[in-house]
Amino acid sequence: MNIYLLQVANGIGIGMLYFLLAVGLSIVFGLLRFVNFAHGAFFLLGAYLCFQCGEMGLNFWWSLLLAPLLVGLFAWLVERFVLRHVYALPHHFHILFTVGLALVLQEAVIAFWGPLGNNISPPDLLQGVVMAGGFVYPIYRLFVIAVTAVMALLLWWVLEGTRLGAIVRAGSESTEMVSLLGLNINRIFSLVFALGAATAGLAGALAAPIRGVDPFMGVEALGIAFVVVVIGGLGSFSGALIGGILVGIVQSVMSTVWSEGAHLMIYIAMAAVMLLRPNGLLGRAS
Amino acid sequence: MSKPTPILSARHVSKRYGKFTAVNDISLDILPGTVHSVIGPNGAGKTTLFHTLTGSTAISAGSILVEGEEVAHLPGYKRVRKGLARSFQITSLFPNLSVRENLRLAAQGTRPLQALNPWRRPERLRAACDSAEQLLVRLNLQAVAERLAAELSHGQQRRLEVGMAMAGQPKVIFLDEPTSGMGIDDIGDMKRLIHSLRDTTTVLLIEHNMDIVMDISDQITVMQQGQILAQGKPAEIRSDERVRRAYLGSMITGGKA
Amino acid sequence: MKYFVHFRFTLLAALVTLLLPLLVGSGSLATEVLIFALAALGCNLLLGYTGLLSFGQGIFFGIGSYTTGLALLRLQAPLLPSLLLAMLIGAAVALLVGWFAIRQRGTYFVMLTLAFAQMFYFLAYTMKDLTGGDNGLLDVPRPNLSLFGHTMLATTSPWQYYSFVAIVFVLVFWLLQRVVDSVLGRTLLAVRDNETRAAAVGYDITLLKLTAFVISGAVTGLAGGLHAMMTGVAPLSNIEYHTSEAILIMTVIGGTGNLFASVLGASFYVLIGNWLSTLWPRWLMLLGFLLIGVSLYLHKGLFGVAQALLRKFGVRPAADIADTTSVKEQHP
Repeated sequence: MNIYLLQVANGIGIGMLYFLLAVGLSIVFGLLRFVNFAHGAFFLLGAYLCFQCGEMGLNFWWSLLLAPLLVGLFAWLVERFVLRHVYALPHHFHILFTVGLALVLQEAVIAFWGPLGNNISPPDLLQGVVMAGGFVYPIYRLFVIAVTAVMALLLWWVLEGTRLGAIVRAGSESTEMVSLLGLNINRIFSLVFALGAATAGLAGALAAPIRGVDPFMGVEALGIAFVVVVIGGLGSFSGALIGGILVGIVQSVMSTVWSEGAHLMIYIAMAAVMLLRPNGLLGRAS
Repeated sequence: MSKPTPILSARHVSKRYGKFTAVNDISLDILPGTVHSVIGPNGAGKTTLFHTLTGSTAISAGSILVEGEEVAHLPGYKRVRKGLARSFQITSLFPNLSVRENLRLAAQGTRPLQALNPWRRPERLRAACDSAEQLLVRLNLQAVAERLAAELSHGQQRRLEVGMAMAGQPKVIFLDEPTSGMGIDDIGDMKRLIHSLRDTTTVLLIEHNMDIVMDISDQITVMQQGQILAQGKPAEIRSDERVRRAYLGSMITGGKA
Repeated sequence: MKYFVHFRFTLLAALVTLLLPLLVGSGSLATEVLIFALAALGCNLLLGYTGLLSFGQGIFFGIGSYTTGLALLRLQAPLLPSLLLAMLIGAAVALLVGWFAIRQRGTYFVMLTLAFAQMFYFLAYTMKDLTGGDNGLLDVPRPNLSLFGHTMLATTSPWQYYSFVAIVFVLVFWLLQRVVDSVLGRTLLAVRDNETRAAAVGYDITLLKLTAFVISGAVTGLAGGLHAMMTGVAPLSNIEYHTSEAILIMTVIGGTGNLFASVLGASFYVLIGNWLSTLWPRWLMLLGFLLIGVSLYLHKGLFGVAQALLRKFGVRPAADIADTTSVKEQHP
């Protein structure tokens, strides 16, 4: 029993990371009506930037700050100068454009850092384990849970409590209304897109010490982000949270029961949810 | 003399979107060979009523009978075979296909299993092709038969929109604001078209153009906030006090007596 | 003369199979072009003709490879049944995946196809006994085409195998061209252009989409099977996301208004890729930029460029009914 509880705890840790990965995708969709297939590539970039900062001698805390900021900045530039012209195109080309972008980023990563993966160790402060009544739990994982929990609260506060959040939520209903209110919808789009990318980048940076970095983690991340939003419901903050944690727990528990099948079970869980609740657990009907 | 059987009957039809009730317990009988208009202010639920009757939207409660047969459980595409067809308020055509092809596809829709044939060319299914040809004449669209639907003028598109509903030779045809956005000349053509439909089909019409409504309708149902406010012949409706109040008076005084 | 016009693209496809040996030095490379042309055709049927953007074509390609590999290795099945089995299983899996994915529309649908692609990848990874896991199926034989013990067509050398694949390719192209020119094909166009309207005039959208999926799955499965025989391996990578991505990119770059466009797209991808990869290992980055460029400016792909060029020279190519002046999007 103990080992399952431990795996559930582990699962929550991974799940929070998956939440962080997916929430950006969900929010961007909610406002921009746009599913960014380069979202996984932002995760990838965040992870590699974190790695690179480490290689360049910066301590982990700086990496954790810089990686998402740089990813966010990059995303902001892409949105501002290129993506904006894509919105008017038919939906298929939105997707294909971002797929092209993801491919370019992936190849760029391989060009700079090579096709093989790399490892990062967590900073000394966060290494080691914590023992509590028979449980052995890695400190770094606890740290990840803490950071993602703080981010979740922060995002929740931004969405529900600030003017920007209200605008984002209003914009999700009607972008015309928002522009009629005299707000610069373009700037808001850029900001939200950058924010979504930055959260993915942060997730990547946090994930790097756990799973290492490799050029194909972007594709894997995209798949998981999709599973989380399918399970949780596209456009829903709480959906991303519940979906993320669920996926994390499934993966964690499965890795003790049937380690090879852990990834597979994530997708089977998704198929199961789709059968029972086609719009996700908390999603709105399309 | 016994009451004629309605060709379409709505019994206690309701449509709810979460907490919001768009259509509230509506019962209607449509007699065959008539033009039955549904009017009312914006947001009254007219289009939603059409959606539930044609199957574009699933019904929340109630029953819908076509010639006595229950169809409420059938999805929209199956109701076509039961004799229902519709045009849309916002033009909904096949933009990248020719006008002729649009009509042919619409005509073919009453025999959808034939359309699964992966070998026969469409030109070989003569019935649908012939229907399309006849419709082109009737709709006065022969000149643009080979043009893509997206390239037509608004008036032509609205005509084609109605044509798509006519193509399957339905028993009941639902026209949702067929003249919306049209200029005076086009409206005249549309009016004549709807007139000509009376001979072969039963027409349910949503219209804001009171000239047409008063002129052409055998029965009018007035809706407000998802419910029926009044029902009756044009003359009755025009003089109904409640209707005047709902419409703020002026709109319904147009048209011939 | 009218028949000529009807068959012009099939004849073009046949012409390509005759030209490839002249332009391409390697039999394997030429065969690879045709194999991926088949895969792109399957993808185009969904995208260009039904309006469904599928990131799951690798599923059917990989399953086709595994099926043929297993049939040849474990069942010692002859050539044609091994390929037919790949088509059948490809169609069956497409039915399953399609049934799930079609329950959603627009972008949601696309996301699902990607998620399913990942799922089948992990499925193949775990079912090591069937698929060989990471290693894949090795030493897949390549029997000759024989009937009642007599060898009709040898497939031993790369160019011999190429001639077999060429025949299969032209045959499948012809069949697909017939399908898209048929009532079914025309009705699929209606679904592509405006689902709501298609349903409102009486068509069962789900059934139509599933039909397209099944045909696509069969053709893509066949391509996968042919691939396994060409390389002698049914690798895990055939069912991986990047195969789905590559097939999709080929289809988009070729252009979606026309079947022959897929042949152009696949030829471009395979041949240019083969050449560029020797110059720069990161040639996929250029492909990414090309995809971005096509999304922004060249919606009709290479085929559109070819049409524009022909028009400049005064030749007016007969319009294909699937050609779109403005691709109408589906509502999400």
